[in-house]
Amino acid sequence: MSALLENHIVELLHERNEKAISLLYENYSDTLYGVAYKVVKDEMLAQDVLQESFVKIWKKADSYDPSKAKLFTWLFRITRNTAIDKLRSSKTKTDKEIQLDVSDVYKVGIEGLNPDFIDMRENLLKIDSKYKIVLEALFFDGMTQQEASEELDIPLGTIKSRLKIGLRELRKIYIEPVVLLFLLTLIA
Amino acid sequence: MKEKIKLFLDTDLLEKYLLGATTDLETLQVERYIAMYPEVRKTYNELQENLEEFAKSYAVKAPEGLKEQILSRVKAQNSTRRKFMSYAVAASVVALLFASASYFFYNQNLNLQEENSMVTNQIKLLEADMKERLEDVRNQFIVLNNPDTKQYKLKGNKKAKDLKAVAYVNPVKKLSYINVQNLPHLEEGQYLQMWAEVNGKMLNLGILKDAGSKDNLLAIPYSEDAVGYITIENEGSNETPTVENIVANITF
Repeated sequence: MSALLENHIVELLHERNEKAISLLYENYSDTLYGVAYKVVKDEMLAQDVLQESFVKIWKKADSYDPSKAKLFTWLFRITRNTAIDKLRSSKTKTDKEIQLDVSDVYKVGIEGLNPDFIDMRENLLKIDSKYKIVLEALFFDGMTQQEASEELDIPLGTIKSRLKIGLRELRKIYIEPVVLLFLLTLIA
Repeated sequence: MKEKIKLFLDTDLLEKYLLGATTDLETLQVERYIAMYPEVRKTYNELQENLEEFAKSYAVKAPEGLKEQILSRVKAQNSTRRKFMSYAVAASVVALLFASASYFFYNQNLNLQEENSMVTNQIKLLEADMKERLEDVRNQFIVLNNPDTKQYKLKGNKKAKDLKAVAYVNPVKKLSYINVQNLPHLEEGQYLQMWAEVNGKMLNLGILKDAGSKDNLLAIPYSEDAVGYITIENEGSNETPTVENIVANITF
């Protein structure tokens, strides 16, 4: 996401221009839908989550402060928290432990696979699964580090270090080739 | 200081903040650290970038038609917001009207209360006045009706031919009154003044005014063997009667 486009969207949001939602959808819907799906693990629920998240984004547009968070961070927080709430309120909560152990990105929305992201998925697979499990538990399953430590039976210190190392690994993988790849996709 | 930052980064507060999972108090603390320490800020920014990359790797093509649904919901939201705004405006107008009406009635009520107390006061004054007058009239009637009361008719001399007055004197009750029936025409600056000679001294009994004095009895201090005079005087207070201007006298 170019800083220029991001600034433009933020301006539109603050002006309460509906075009902002359209642009946000074009640029972030796939990622946010993926996040919602990863949390609720159900297509219908994920769609509901995405709708509700966008309504919240629109309602809270005035409160977004670019100095406190990047646009994506803000969108992610809203979507993630909406998804976690949805999951809690829907009684279809499935067994968390099993889901965690077998979590496999290829199982996610097979029909909706976006070829643009396949390279990234492959990259993600390169991260040691021990990091991936921790990151997913914290980011998508709404667990605190303490909860993740208990659920995954990993000491809290290890959770913390795996989170940090995992994120660093991600950075190594993505920062150079992915940024280039993204720029290329954007230009194309 | 370094130690403090390290300790902070070792907690999971920054990660929790990244995900929007901190409590209000924790949020304040994290935001303070981000604002104060460049190292924390740098780590936070890295975390944000990593989060975006990490989340993107889970991207799934959103179903067709979802965009339209979302846009129409946002539009509906907007129109209800607008509707709400217009309701809010209407409500404000009503509230304002109500407030000004209340103020108006409050003011009116205040004015009426004031007026009411004024009227009540006036009625009280009138009542007191009436009582006083009634008492006067009663007293006068008692005097006039008393068989001991003598009536003296007074007429002006040639200086004041039109002067007509009646004096009532009751030596038993030691009361005397004078009733001026008609005043002579006087030149401007002149008026009639009453006097009484009591024990060789001239007492000023006041000026005779034509207005309203016709039906009134003027009380005169009673003294045996007193002589009353009416003189024409010039404007300005006169302590002694002008003898050559005597127009009438009464000997009680």
